[in-house]
This record gives sequence, C-alpha cells and structure tokens, in this order.
Amino acid sequence: MHENSRPQQAFTEPPLPETGTEGYENMPVTKVPGWHGIIAWDALLNGMATGLFLAAAVSELAAPAVFMHVAKIAYPVALVLLLVDLGLLVLDLGDPLRFHHMLRVFKPGSPMSVGTWSLTIFSLPLTAAAGLSLLALLGFDFEWARILAVVAGLLPGFGSAAYKGVLLSTNAQPGWKDARWLGGYLTNSALLMGCAELLVLSALMGQPQATAILRTAFIVLLVLNVIPMGLLFANLQPTHAQLYTREQQWRAGALIAVGTLIPLGLMLFNGGLLFILVAVIFLLAESWFIRFLYVKIPHTSPLEVRSGE
Amino acid sequence: MASREKELSALPQTSDAPRGQLSELAGRLIYPFLHGEPPKPQTPTGFYTDTTVCIGCKACEVACKQWNQLPSDGFNWSGNSYDNTNELSATTWRHVKFIEQFSHEAPGTPASEGTSSNEQALNRWLMMSDHCKHCLAAPCHQACPTGAIIQNEFENVYIQADICNGCSCCVAACPFGVITRSDMGGHSHKCTLCYDRQRDGLEPACAKACPTQSIHFGPVEELREQARKRVEELHQRGVPQAYLYGDAPTETYSEMHSFYLLVDRPSVYGLPDAPFNPWLHMAGDYVRSIAGGLAAIAVLLLVVFLLKP
Repeated sequence: MHENSRPQQAFTEPPLPETGTEGYENMPVTKVPGWHGIIAWDALLNGMATGLFLAAAVSELAAPAVFMHVAKIAYPVALVLLLVDLGLLVLDLGDPLRFHHMLRVFKPGSPMSVGTWSLTIFSLPLTAAAGLSLLALLGFDFEWARILAVVAGLLPGFGSAAYKGVLLSTNAQPGWKDARWLGGYLTNSALLMGCAELLVLSALMGQPQATAILRTAFIVLLVLNVIPMGLLFANLQPTHAQLYTREQQWRAGALIAVGTLIPLGLMLFNGGLLFILVAVIFLLAESWFIRFLYVKIPHTSPLEVRSGE
Repeated sequence: MASREKELSALPQTSDAPRGQLSELAGRLIYPFLHGEPPKPQTPTGFYTDTTVCIGCKACEVACKQWNQLPSDGFNWSGNSYDNTNELSATTWRHVKFIEQFSHEAPGTPASEGTSSNEQALNRWLMMSDHCKHCLAAPCHQACPTGAIIQNEFENVYIQADICNGCSCCVAACPFGVITRSDMGGHSHKCTLCYDRQRDGLEPACAKACPTQSIHFGPVEELREQARKRVEELHQRGVPQAYLYGDAPTETYSEMHSFYLLVDRPSVYGLPDAPFNPWLHMAGDYVRSIAGGLAAIAVLLLVVFLLKP
C-alpha cells in the first residue's frame, strides 16, 4: 500500500451526519436573528415605560386636579423602566460599545432607526418630567416647566411605543412577516399596561377618585385589547399550526384567556388594593407570555416542538 | 484562527499614533459621525451565475475565503450530497449547492440520448454557487439603522464593518438568508462583491477562479443581455425549462444585481419561489400600530372626561 493511501489516523474523523436531509426544498431559507428572551423583556418594558408615561400624561392633562399627585410618581417610575429597557437594548447588540452608531443617521424607512430616535428624544422630556416631579415632591415646584416637559414627551413617547411592533413585523422571518396586527396589539397593550400601572400607583397612594376612574378605564381597555390581540393571533394561526400541536395551541390560548379574564373578573368584582395588584400581575404575566411566544417563533423548529416541547 | 485574528486586531498598529485613554474614547465616540465624501457613481456591476455549467468544484468558495481572509468553518459532514459548507454565513460568502435528481427506479442510470425531458429531469445533477443577491432595493439596506449598509458606487450592497453594531436588523430582513452576525466581533458580514478588487479594476476573486465561466462578472446591463441570449440558446437546444431568476423586478421584489440562470423551481435550489420585500407592509403596519394606540388613548380620555368630578 502506498504511504498516502493509508488511513490518516492523525486526523480527527469528521462527525457523521445526524440526519439524511437531501436537497434544499424543506430547509429554512431565512436566517434567524440572535433575538431571544431579552427582546421579549424589552418589548414588555418598552410598553410598560411608554404606556405609563402616556397614561399619566393624558390623564393629568385631562384632569389635573385628580391625577397630578399620582402622575408625579408615575414619571420617575416610567424613567426607571425606560432605563432598564434601554440597557437591555444595548446589551442585545453584537457590539454594545457601538450603541451610539444608531444615532449617526436617521432613516425613516428603518423602524429600528425611528425607534432609536424616538426613544432618545423621549428620554429627554421624560427625564425632565421625572426630575421636576421629584423636585416638586421636595418642595421646589416648577409646574409650568413640568407640564411643558410632559407635553413635549407625548409625541416621542407615542413613537417609542408604536415602532416596536413594526420593527418585529417588517422583516422576512417566518411568522413575523405575517403579523400585520402586531404593532396594533403592542401599542394598544402599552396603553393598557400603562393604565394598569397608574391604577396600582393611585391605589397605593390612596387616591380614591383617580383609582375609581382608572379602574373603569382599565376594564374598558382590557376588553378593547382583545380586538388587536385576536387579529394578531388570526395572523399567526397558520404559523402556530405548523409549529405546535392542537393541544399545545389550546393550552397557550387558555393561558392567554386566563390572563385577560381573571383581571377583568377581579376588577368587576372589587376595586380594593389587593384585587388591583393581583389583576395587574396577571395582566403583566399575560403580556410577557404573548411577547415571548411571538419572539420564539423563528427559533422554534416544528419537529422539536412536536416531539415533546 | 478566529481567536488569533481577534488577538492581532487588538495589537497597536505601527501606523497608529499613540493615544491616551481619553482621546481613544473621544475617537470612538466621534469617529462614526465623520462622513466622508461619497465616491462618484460608476457603471453598476454584478454577477450572472449560469448554473447549467457549474461543476461544483468549489473553486469560488476557496477563492472567496482566500482573498477575503475568511477563517475556516471546520469540517462538518452534512449528509447532503457533496455540500459540506451547509449555508452562507459571516465567514462563508460563497456556497456551492448540490442537488441530486435521480430516479429511484434506476439509481445512477444516466439519461440516454432521445429520452424525454421529463425522464432527463429525473437523472441529473444541479449545482449552484450561491451568494449575496445585491438587490437593488435591498431589505437589509432599508433595515440598517446605523447606515453601515450602503449601496456603493457600483450599486453593490456593502457592509461597512467599522460602523455595524450588530443589531441584526439586516439578518431578520434578508429574505434569502444571506447576512449573518459573526460570533467574533458581533458584526454582520456578507459578500462585498470584492469591492476592494473592483476599485482596482479587478474582477471578484470567485469569478476569476471559476474554471467553467459559470460565474460571470461585469456591468449588469451587459450581463442581462448575455444571460437572455444564453436562455434562448438553451431553449433552442432542448432545455425549455431554463429561465432567469432575479434579472427583472417582480411585483413584490426589485431586480437583483446578482442573478441566476436556473433549470428548476427556485425552491429546489433553496431560493424563495417568490421573494417578498417586507417593506411593502411597513406603511400599513405603522397605520395599525398608531390606530391601536390612538384607540386606547381615546378610550382613556373618554372615561376620564365622563367620570371626573
């Protein structure tokens, strides 16, 4: 035997193929972006921060005598939530030290660019509103400046809430590309969560008038939110049917229904602090679950799921 | 090799003037905002890949790796014909695909003279050298929030690696699964259409290395003319199924500066049958997103006005 034709023991044997896949027809064409659970948390915190600010600002501007006190606490809370959210967004980058590169251009055609600029601009009046609210609590009241900051934050705050769904639906990923109502659901859900957070704050602060109004608004918004949620799941149904068994779909549907019906039932039954807290916890858990379920779609292989979750 | 490259790039370059930590930080902050003078537009260039003459030698893959100094991906036995490259990635910008179409009744029996085209189709190899399509209206380009992805003076889609921050929007947007974020550095990479060689008047390394002239490089208009003549020629020679993929715009996608001559459905080659630009949905998604938010604000305002004292 010639020297070169002998088995080359020094080389590591290549691993054997795991599957006998042939051809490319059944292979996924698109590449999955490295967006995982952190993005589900980002989508939740984005909604909680922008929703709380918008709910507080709209309520305060419409009925200052009722909502001013609770709004002054809501703005700093919204700022903390936004800072955590921005931290997650930066951490999710492949090169977090280059986060500021997002600000070198403004591209209206890129939802991420619109979102980055909206969040950046929103953070300024929100910081001002939060800072001036805290100063007011310490006795240094600059009311006109605080109201000015609140008004200035409305548009970028709304933009910050509205871009997220468009970002996660304007792409080529299976399932995501068909989610025409994701933006509608996420923005509506942000206001719902914001109203729920404001309700908790007003109940904790012992503001009966604000609590009563927000409790009614929360109930109506919960019902309203079912519409974009239903439309979103109608968009995603063909994808879910490919990824999950009928039983798994029913289970997920039941969890989501519980996340809506329990808060609704609790709020209709009683407006006490404990009931409010439990209702809001259920709502936030449901909101996170829906976002997680959505973010998971391109990462989910039908075989993996069907063979045992 | 990957870790070695990281080590080397971290070493101070002799051409770099020594800088303190503060000026280093200032440089990092300011550098991305410095926009250079855009080069003068040149004749648009691209690739025309005639898959009917590809012999699957992978010389293009090797030439691409060599010229662009891309690291090896290791050797993984895929079990999918002779394709052990598997897919395009941040370190593999050319991928030769192998499709075996042989009749199960008579495996390995070559099609004889005089057989019908249907019978011939059952006994053949299809090979295709895949790469970035350099779409005219590229979803990755539209998605990029940093401006790292540009159309250069040759109308090729080019990623500026020193600007990319690894947000992965381009990965999510590409309907062909071309762009990938690298684990090393966290930035996105793909075929540059050998921008550096083009600027020096050279053809891309893959086209230069192709021994059968399956990969044609040149001005796009000339390539389209050449490709259409080749399709006509194939039709006359009894290959009626030959057609061009990506040479002209469709209702849902722009033309591509890298297009293919195929003889079977696009999905057989792992290409989308009808590529869709996700941006066609963006305006509608924004409308639904804004409507969802405005509806919630309207409800909140209505409740506040109705119930406030």
